[in-house]
Amino acid sequence: MLFAQIMVNGLLLGGLYGLMALGMALVWGVLNIVNLAHGAVVMLGGYCVYFLFTGAGIDPFAALPIAMVVMFALGYLLQRYVLNLIIRSAQLNTLLITFGLDVVLTYLAQLAFSADFRAINPSYAGANLTWMGVTIPLVRLGAFVTALILAGLLWALLQRTRLGRAIRATAQNLVAARLYGVNPAQLYAVTFGLGAALAGAAGGLYGMVSQVTPYVGAALTAKSFVITIMGGLENPFGILLGGVFIGIAEALAAIYIGPTFTDAISFGLLLLILVARPARSLRGA
Amino acid sequence: MGRLLAATLAALVMSLPVMGHAQTKTVTLGAALQITGPDGNLGRYFRDGYQIAVDRINEQGGLTIGGQNYRIALKILDSQTDLNLSVQQYGQLVTRDKVDFLLGPYNSNFTLNDSVIAEKYKVPMVSGGAAAAQIYSRGYKYIFGTSPPADNYFGSTLEMMTKLDPQPKKIALLVADDAFDVSVRAGVRALSAKDGFELVVDQVFKEHNADFGSLLSLTKSKSPDVILMGGHETESLNFIRQAKSLDVNPHHMMALTVGVPSADFRSALGKDAEYAFGMTPWMASPVIRDRWFGDAQKFAELFHRKLGYEADYHVASAVADVETFAYALEAAGSLDRDAVRDAIAKSDFESLYATIRYGETGQIDIPQIVIQVQDGKVVPVYTDHFLNKPRYPVPTWAKR
Amino acid sequence: MVRAILLILAVVFLAAAPFFGDAVMIQYGIDALLFATLAQAWNILGGFTGYASFGNSAFYGLGTYGTAIAMAQLHLPFWVGLSLGAFLAVLCAVVIGLPILRLRGHYFAIATLGLSATLAAIISNLDISGRNIGLILPLTRNDVGFYEEALALLVASTLTVMWIAKSRFGMGLIAIREDEDAAQVMGINTTFYKVVALMLSAFFTAIAGGIHAYWITFIDPASAFDLSLNVRMVIMAMFGGPGTVLGPVVGSFILSAVYDALARSISTAAALLFGMVIVLAVIFMPRGLWDLGHGLRQVGWRYFLQNIRLHRL
Repeated sequence: MLFAQIMVNGLLLGGLYGLMALGMALVWGVLNIVNLAHGAVVMLGGYCVYFLFTGAGIDPFAALPIAMVVMFALGYLLQRYVLNLIIRSAQLNTLLITFGLDVVLTYLAQLAFSADFRAINPSYAGANLTWMGVTIPLVRLGAFVTALILAGLLWALLQRTRLGRAIRATAQNLVAARLYGVNPAQLYAVTFGLGAALAGAAGGLYGMVSQVTPYVGAALTAKSFVITIMGGLENPFGILLGGVFIGIAEALAAIYIGPTFTDAISFGLLLLILVARPARSLRGA
Repeated sequence: MGRLLAATLAALVMSLPVMGHAQTKTVTLGAALQITGPDGNLGRYFRDGYQIAVDRINEQGGLTIGGQNYRIALKILDSQTDLNLSVQQYGQLVTRDKVDFLLGPYNSNFTLNDSVIAEKYKVPMVSGGAAAAQIYSRGYKYIFGTSPPADNYFGSTLEMMTKLDPQPKKIALLVADDAFDVSVRAGVRALSAKDGFELVVDQVFKEHNADFGSLLSLTKSKSPDVILMGGHETESLNFIRQAKSLDVNPHHMMALTVGVPSADFRSALGKDAEYAFGMTPWMASPVIRDRWFGDAQKFAELFHRKLGYEADYHVASAVADVETFAYALEAAGSLDRDAVRDAIAKSDFESLYATIRYGETGQIDIPQIVIQVQDGKVVPVYTDHFLNKPRYPVPTWAKR
Repeated sequence: MVRAILLILAVVFLAAAPFFGDAVMIQYGIDALLFATLAQAWNILGGFTGYASFGNSAFYGLGTYGTAIAMAQLHLPFWVGLSLGAFLAVLCAVVIGLPILRLRGHYFAIATLGLSATLAAIISNLDISGRNIGLILPLTRNDVGFYEEALALLVASTLTVMWIAKSRFGMGLIAIREDEDAAQVMGINTTFYKVVALMLSAFFTAIAGGIHAYWITFIDPASAFDLSLNVRMVIMAMFGGPGTVLGPVVGSFILSAVYDALARSISTAAALLFGMVIVLAVIFMPRGLWDLGHGLRQVGWRYFLQNIRLHRL
């Protein structure tokens, strides 16, 4: 019974992890930017939902789309007016500039919201249902379903729309993208905005199962790395699967190896996968 | 109008040298605190605690040291929760800003590092937010602390548990792997062996852990009577919220090392904070007398009026740090650092925090008061006897 | 020739500085010198081959823990600790370097980051390293000694880089940066070159970690394997001019001074401004101070706009 419960815990947590990594993977795969400010955007999404809930009384799940729109706008502006300026400079420079942005966003959040922790605590936050002896927290189930829906929407957008085809073409080749008649500067900004919107949704859900402070970002960025590498850059559902894999691995490690080993396990897996993968598929990325 | 201005200016200019030659001298205390950064939440307690104590002492005429009137000045830097920077800043305070004495930062880890500067330059440092045994076991002579030893944090809770009905037997102990909480764990293990409790779960988790799903499910499967949890405030918050969502109920009670005394923590949890046991070395009680603030309750009222939030034991401990210097300076009769250091070691005075006496190692030893959240308020329950009736056993999440 | 004399004078001046400056100067000096060494060590691999390592904090951590374990747990002298730390770091560079250096671009960066995080997690579970609580080293009141050690280390690492820049070995590293496949075709044993560069980088990084550990006297996994420290190394090297001999040193001196001045004067917003400096520097001078110097002489202030034109979408 304990085993089943642990598996369910890991599965549900993994869905949220996966959603967190979805935006990072999109930006990485299409724009070739490893966004070190990703966790900071997740954090801002969390604050967004928190203030919509406590200030305007909007249900946190209903507030998610609003937070996504706000984060989309932020991401769009960041890419359009900052990151686009350096997109063709040395690859390492994109890492540095997003690190700088991470510091700036974190400190602005600290100045604006203070270091107090904020938990998004709707009346049903602790509710759960029991099924065959396994307790299923409702909010986590909701987060899992939300992750599935958003991954599905992203998949549909990429595969079924003109915009999505243009984005995918950009990932292959910038010149080809121009054939779709889209302004690449705009397309880059939209893609980064989509990534930020997904991060914003993850932040809102994270605030419901945990809490938000200006400093949660760094750990979430690191986690998203691991999952992005696990899941690959191609398919949104692959990323979710990567998240679930890490979620379950950590949940099992906490019980059967020791709770202080969870980081060693997930980062160790990251190393192992990178080293064991065929060299060709990783070249030049 | 022009003449009036000129006259005012002239008066101002003439008063300047007079102010400079006034009879009052200054003794400066310095600290590098975590005003911003991840610890900013608690660092501010120390900034505000130090400041209100210094202001109050100055308002009431300052100190008399060796027959001379002194005011206290406070120099605070923001270490931004950057450990390296904080060590640098303490060095700067001592050697460049020439502060006379040092007040400590928040938390054991920073104090471990920063007290090295105090020891290096032989400047006494009194720290209000560092409980880990390691700090005081190095044989250092210039570091003093007003946080009680970590290994006795659960001492009063365990003692209370022996007197409760129904009597709990099985304990689940979950602590973080930082210096402070590992000391807490060592204490609980020793005490529970003595009192005949059985540790059915005894786990150490990673510091800053955010997901307790596995640990909580494990705990649930062992059905303990009591859950004792030791971690930072963020971990404690996650722990309680996730315990509710996974429907983990100890048969009798749940107690936490930190969090319950602070308003921030309780408001983040809302109703879920109800029934949680916690501890504090300090309550804002009118019984605890103080030379400058009257008593602890008056202090708490003043603090709330001035700063707009509720004082907790961190603040009281910070005030006691400043008062330690105040008493020691008067006793030493000079600003000589070694004389003041010896005077601090001999401290024995009533403060709004507690009776201040430093042990052999430089750390104070005062008992923790067991507290419980009852109807949204913090109620003291037990010291070495019951103060108020605990709500016990605690109802399950479903029945609240 | 003139340049060599100027450099020697600069070193003599730096070596004599602690006898004139106050204790805070010495403290800042130790930090600045160690940072410059870290930037220089990062430069050996990152600057010359273009492999951006985020695993140097792992070598730093191993140097730190080697020293601390030798001194605090085994009660051995400082130099034994330094050697142990350097040995562990270089060993790690060989063993891990071989598989990891196959990866390129972001994947290499992330793998090295994973290395650092994994080592930190392992160290925090070992008894000999004091688990997550950390280790306490004996206290020494000899800041001038630490300062001179740090200076000596910086000089040694800079001389090494100077040699690399002039040698066949350095040519090979640069060839790898420009086009690794072509370098391979030309008969350069790229794996060997990269691993040696990583070993050298690890060596100096570890020694810097060891000196810092003994100076600060308390270490724990969070401070020993600090990722932001690694990011600072990269920023300092990039800011000064990656792949140059003196760029990383000058760059790190300037950034240390800026950061300290900010932290001292406006305290709270220092980190915020530092973040903004990074963003602006990447936009306006993406190839570092060295290139900025050339550019300003050639095209004046238009250099900054030129960078944007060159790199924007």
